[in-house]
Amino acid sequence: MDAITPQIIFYLYGLPITNTVVSTWVMMFLIIALAILIKFMKPSYGEWLIEFINNIIGSVMPADKDPKDFLVVLGTLAIFLLFANIFSIIPMMVSPTANINTTIALAVIVFFAVHIYGIREKGLWGYIKDFASPIFILPLEIVSQFSRTLSLAVRLFGNILSTDLIVAIVFILVPFIIPLPLAALGMLTGVLQAYIFLVLASLYIASGVEIQEREKERKRLKKEGAKS
Amino acid sequence: MWELDPSTLITVLTILGSTIGIVLGCIVPAIMEGIAVQKALDGITRQPDAANDLRTTLLISMALLESTAIYALLVILVILFANPVLDRFF
Repeated sequence: MDAITPQIIFYLYGLPITNTVVSTWVMMFLIIALAILIKFMKPSYGEWLIEFINNIIGSVMPADKDPKDFLVVLGTLAIFLLFANIFSIIPMMVSPTANINTTIALAVIVFFAVHIYGIREKGLWGYIKDFASPIFILPLEIVSQFSRTLSLAVRLFGNILSTDLIVAIVFILVPFIIPLPLAALGMLTGVLQAYIFLVLASLYIASGVEIQEREKERKRLKKEGAKS
Repeated sequence: MWELDPSTLITVLTILGSTIGIVLGCIVPAIMEGIAVQKALDGITRQPDAANDLRTTLLISMALLESTAIYALLVILVILFANPVLDRFF
């Protein structure tokens, strides 16, 4: 039970504060310090990072969308996950994403971002109309919205927790050199999972933004067909 | 065998069941991932220009396939470490 649930460290006004929350705070200060350092020492690194995330988002989004619109949500998620997934290599710290509450919160952010970007792009009525475009698809669409949110959360949680747990188990058996390659594998998995989360989130947002375009294209084709 | 008290019996059965479950839950996604990698390598050798696109798609689909094994692992971790039957009845 202790292995897969976070431990409560202290209570703040009656709220239980777990060790993952404490390591999230440490990580937040680390990221802020790093951002300030980059801003004043080497601004070109920050530019390069933004460009890199932009390219990943742009490779998934439809071609006429500017990836900079989505950078606010997706870039923040990517940087947070990149740090959170490999944070357990620091002694005394646990990965914030090895707690299912963190990953569910992130997945819910993505869930709302899909609808907010969709509504901003097409208006409320246009978005609902697109969402239920053949009406018999509507129940399946609703189910898929929820199941994709759940799978987004559980995938990240399971991957990070399982690699951390494997390292811990091997560390109990052989506390010397042997856990190092497994920790390296865990870091690789963590970076890969951050990438996967970013790509899937932009894929879902793209699917929320995009349907209108297909509809418009079909109407245009129909009009052209009627003309000729 | 039948003189065991029920909670021990349930623990033994849980360990047996979770071992079988993790074996099956690892074999099937591993085979499917192997097929995916094989097809992607075929595609790369045929068309080296498309290697970048294929690599991105391969990584995403590998993670999606891998997550099914992770679901099995999660269920088994819950059964082993936080067994609901043992917690509720014994």
